[in-house]
Amino acid sequence: MKRFSLIALAASLLFVTPAAAQETPRPGGVLKVASIGEPPTLDIPMSTATLVYEIMWHVNESLLTYDKNFNPVPMLAESWTLADKGLKYTITLRKGVKFHNGKEMTAADVVPSLRRWGRVASVGRALWKYVESVDAKDSYTVVISMKQASSSLIYGLSEPHAAIYPKESIEAAGEGQLKEFIGTGPFRFVEHRPDRHIKLARFKDYSARSDPPSGFGGKRTAYFDEILFLTVPETAVRLAGVETGEYHHAMFIKQDSYERIKSLPALESRIVKPRGWAVAVMNHKSPLTSQKKIRQAFQAALDMEPILVAGFGSKEFYRLDPGVFFPEQPWHSTASAKLYNQKDKDRARRLLKEAGYAGQPLRWITTREYEFMYKNALVGKQQLEEVGITVDLQVVDWATLNNRGEKPELWEVFSTGFVFSADPANHVALRCTFNGWWCNEEKERLLAELQGENDLKKRKAIIDRIQTVFYEDVGSVKLGDYFTLDAARRELRGDFRTAPRLYFWNSWLAK
Amino acid sequence: MQTYLLRRVLAVIPVMLVVATVTCVLIHLAPGDPASIIAGPDATPADIARLRHQLGLDEPLPTQLVHWYGRLLRGDLGDSIFLRRPVTEAILERLEPTLLLTSWATLIAVLIGVPAGIVSARYHNTAVDQSFMGLALIGLSIPNFLLGLLMILVFGVWLRWLPVAGYVSLDLGLWPNARSLLMPAVSLGLVQSALIARITRSSMLDVLREQYILASRAKGLAERAVVYKHALKNAIIPTLTVIGITFAILIGGAVVIETVFNIPGVGRLIISAVLRRDYPVIQGVVLIIALTYTLINLLVDLVYLTLDPRIRYQ
Repeated sequence: MKRFSLIALAASLLFVTPAAAQETPRPGGVLKVASIGEPPTLDIPMSTATLVYEIMWHVNESLLTYDKNFNPVPMLAESWTLADKGLKYTITLRKGVKFHNGKEMTAADVVPSLRRWGRVASVGRALWKYVESVDAKDSYTVVISMKQASSSLIYGLSEPHAAIYPKESIEAAGEGQLKEFIGTGPFRFVEHRPDRHIKLARFKDYSARSDPPSGFGGKRTAYFDEILFLTVPETAVRLAGVETGEYHHAMFIKQDSYERIKSLPALESRIVKPRGWAVAVMNHKSPLTSQKKIRQAFQAALDMEPILVAGFGSKEFYRLDPGVFFPEQPWHSTASAKLYNQKDKDRARRLLKEAGYAGQPLRWITTREYEFMYKNALVGKQQLEEVGITVDLQVVDWATLNNRGEKPELWEVFSTGFVFSADPANHVALRCTFNGWWCNEEKERLLAELQGENDLKKRKAIIDRIQTVFYEDVGSVKLGDYFTLDAARRELRGDFRTAPRLYFWNSWLAK
Repeated sequence: MQTYLLRRVLAVIPVMLVVATVTCVLIHLAPGDPASIIAGPDATPADIARLRHQLGLDEPLPTQLVHWYGRLLRGDLGDSIFLRRPVTEAILERLEPTLLLTSWATLIAVLIGVPAGIVSARYHNTAVDQSFMGLALIGLSIPNFLLGLLMILVFGVWLRWLPVAGYVSLDLGLWPNARSLLMPAVSLGLVQSALIARITRSSMLDVLREQYILASRAKGLAERAVVYKHALKNAIIPTLTVIGITFAILIGGAVVIETVFNIPGVGRLIISAVLRRDYPVIQGVVLIIALTYTLINLLVDLVYLTLDPRIRYQ
C-alpha cells in the first residue's frame, strides 16, 4: 500500500508539469541567470557573439524577428511590403511604441539605427552593398531602396543586431560604441557591474504586440521585476548554484551532468536543440585537399556515429543528419543524403588510388578547448588511416587554430562548429570568404540566384541544389548536429529556451 | 637608516620599468586581440581590422610602448577597452573583496600555521608532530581550487550552510560579507597555513637548539616561558617573511579561487582582462601587483628591526 501511494505521488508529480504549463503566469520576483562570462560588449550591432544578443535583446528590439519556424515576422514593424521586383521595401512601423526614455519610436529613430547597422554590424555591412538608400517617408514609414534584390535583407533585419535605438543615442555614439542602452524592449537596462552582474528591470510602459507568441515573435510580456545575468565562469559552480536555488537558470552545463540533473527533482534539463553542426573544414587552396577526389575519399571513409559518440557522449546530444540547415528550419534538405555518413572504405581507397595519393600527410588542426572537436578528430583520424590516409593531427589552442586557419599553407583540414543561421544565403559553410575558401562556381551562381528569389518554393529548390553541390564537390565534411545543455529550476516556467537563443519574456517564477 | 630606506624605495623604479616593458611586450605578442573579441566569432577580417584601427591597436609595438611609458610618467594607467573607465578606477573597485579575502585567508593561515608549527617543534618527533606535519603535507599538496570545489559540494550543496558562490559587499553588513568569504578564505588559508606551519616548525627547532635556550632552561624557567618568550621571538622572523610573501601572493594570486567562488576581485579582473586581451587592464594590474610585492617585502624587512634589535640596515 505504501509503495502504491509512493507511485501515485510520483505519478501525480509527473502530471504537475503539463498542468503547470497552463497555469496563470505570476508577475514579480527577481530572475537570476548564471551566464558563462562577461559579454564582450553591450552594443549589439558591434558584435556577433550570441551572449551579447541573449542578454541585450530583452532591452533592444529589431523591426522584425523570427517565429517558431524561423521565418521573419514583424516585431517593431507593423508590416512590410516588397515592390519593384524586390528593389523597394516599405516598412510600416507600429504606432505608440515607447523607448525606455519615454519618447515614441518613429522613423526618425529607425533610419539612423539602420544606417549605423549598415556601418558597424558584420551582417549589416555585408548587406549594405545591395542597399541604395534608407529614408523616412513619414513618421511611421521607412523605405529601403535596393541597388540589387537581396532576399537576405529581411533575415538581416530579423536579427537582434539590427536593433533600433533612439536617434539621440546613435548621435552620441558617433563612430564609436554606444554610451547608453535605451531600447523599446520589455526590460530596460539598469546597470552593468563587470564580473558581477547585468541588471535589467521590467519596463512598465512596454507596448507589446497583440498577436500570440510564436518563437521570438508575437506578444512579449515581462513578468519578472528584475533579471540579473550573473557572471559565473566555472561550470561546476553554475550547476551547484542552480541546484541550491541561488540561480534559476544556468547556461552551458557539461553534457555529462545530464544524468545528474535528471536525478534532481528541483531541476529541469533544457537541451538546446539545434545548436550547431560539427564539421571538418577542407582547405581548397592546399595542393592536397584542392583535389576533389581526395576530398571525396575523406568524405567516403568516415563513419559518423562513432565520431559523434566520442564527441558528445549521449544520444540526446547529437543527431546524424545530412542537412546544411537543421530539420527545425524550413530550409532543411535531404538532397545528396547518400553522400553523408557513407562509411564506404572501398570507395575511399578507390578514390585515393584514382587521385594518385602517395601517403602525403594531411594536416588536421583541432583543439581541446572544445573537447568535442578533439575527440571527433581523434576518431576521424583512426578511420582515415584505415583507408590509407596519413593524418598529422595537430592539437593547438582555439586562438591559434583560428589564427592558423587564415593561412592556407599551414593546413588541410580543421575542426570547428557551424552555429545556427536563419538566412540560407548567409550560412558560414557556404561562404567563399571563410577559411577553407570554397569558391565553387556553380555554388556562387546558385547563391546569387537565391539572393534574387523571394518565392519560398523556388528558394527551397535552389537550396536543394546548393546542398547537392556541397556534397558532390565536398565543400567541407559535415560530421553531425550537436546540442548543448542548460539547467533550470522547475519553478521557472515558460518557453524561455527556444533554441538556439535564450529569452526570458513570457517566463515567470511559480510559487 | 634613512639612506637605506631611500635606496630601497629608489630601487623600486627600475623593477617597475622592467615589469612595465615585459608585460606590454608579452601581451602584444600573444595571439588574438580585443578587436576580434568584441567583433565576435562570425566577424570578417575586414570588420576586425576596422575595429582594430578604431581602438588604436594597429600601431606598431614600439609606438604603443612609448605611449605606455608616457602615460606611466603622468601616473595614468590608461582606460580599459571593455569596461570603458580608467584602469585605476577599475582596480580600486575590485580592491575591497580582494583585500578582505586576502586578510581573512592570511589570518586563517597564521592562526592555524603558527601554533601548529610551534606545537610540532615543541613535541618534536612525537606522534603529535608527525600527524601535524602529515596534515601539512596534505595541505600543501591539495590545489586550492579543488579544496574550494569540495567545500562548495559539502557546505553549499549538501549541507546548505553557506552560499555556493558570489560576493556580498561590506556595506550590506559584516556578517553576510564574512559568510560569503568564509569558504574562499578557508580554501586559500588552509593551503598557506601548511607552508607557515612547516617554516615555523623548522625555524623553531633551530632556535630551540641554541645555547641561550639551554641557559634559560638551566636557570629553571618554565618550559612555557622558554618556548613562547625566548624562542618564539627569534624563530618568528623567517615565518614573518613567509607571511609577508603569502599576503603578497594572495593579493594577486587569488585568481583561481576568485574565479571558482565568483568573487569580483583583482584576480577576476586580471583573468577576464587576459581572456579579452584588455591590454591596459592587464598592464595596470600586473604593475600594481608588482608594486605591492616590492612594498610588502620592504615592509617585512623593516618589521625585522623591531623584532630583532641585532638587525641593522646601512
